[in-house]
Amino acid sequence: MADSSNEFPTTLGADAVFKGQLQFEKGVKLLGKFDGEISSEGQLVVADGATLTGDVKAGSVRVDGQVKGNLHATSKVQLSASARLEGDVQTQRLEVAEGAVLVGRCVVGVNGQSRPTTDVRSVSRPAETIPTAKSRLSEPAPAAIKK
Amino acid sequence: MISLPTKLDAAVKWVTCTHCERPTEVAVRAMSVFCPHCKKRLILEDFKINSYYAVREFSTCGDVVVEKKGHVVAPIKAGSLTVMGKVQGRVTACGQVRIKKSGWFKGELEAPCLLVECGAVLDGFVRIGPSARPN
Repeated sequence: MADSSNEFPTTLGADAVFKGQLQFEKGVKLLGKFDGEISSEGQLVVADGATLTGDVKAGSVRVDGQVKGNLHATSKVQLSASARLEGDVQTQRLEVAEGAVLVGRCVVGVNGQSRPTTDVRSVSRPAETIPTAKSRLSEPAPAAIKK
Repeated sequence: MISLPTKLDAAVKWVTCTHCERPTEVAVRAMSVFCPHCKKRLILEDFKINSYYAVREFSTCGDVVVEKKGHVVAPIKAGSLTVMGKVQGRVTACGQVRIKKSGWFKGELEAPCLLVECGAVLDGFVRIGPSARPN
């Protein structure tokens, strides 16, 4: 499983099936099937054609294959065009390429937590209708961009 | 020799109706039309919001930009959405949803494409993908 590359010293081959818990410090590249939990401070790459079932805690995660489980990344999560992710994502930065599939709850932000909502006004104002031609002439309807 | 524009050369574009989700051909310069399928009014304008805006429904086939000072509390249906301010509610987009670094989003999101910049905040259920187009 060892890879000579310094970036990904650990690689799970395309014909390999791993079940259990995996912990690593540097990068790991998954080319086969993995069922279990992964925890690391390094980068995890799920290659195209690979399948990961389980929860992941890593520094950064790049998904090119299929993942069913929750992702928790301290820096960023990248989904390429061939990626398919079903599960929750908690990270500081999220990139979803066009063509990728992502279904689940996302928490993206400072330390992966939402900002405090103390400055959000409550929705107690009377409901308004969709701005009509008449209402557009008067404020405070949003300004339409002239083409 | 000058060729006169034919009917086929008219500036038209295809949009997805926000009510019945069917493709509809409309003029590029049109601001609103009636959907030929569901007969409901379809807004085509682009909107730029730079203040507090809370409504029951906010639908357009155009692009919606929430400026830094903008704060939208509404279910939004749009062609595309760019968030630089705050958005609370359920968002359904036919195109890309971009949350800039000053953006804050809380709610449900359905779109074919999503970009969340470093520094942005996104909290909610997300459904992204080609099959995530609203049905």
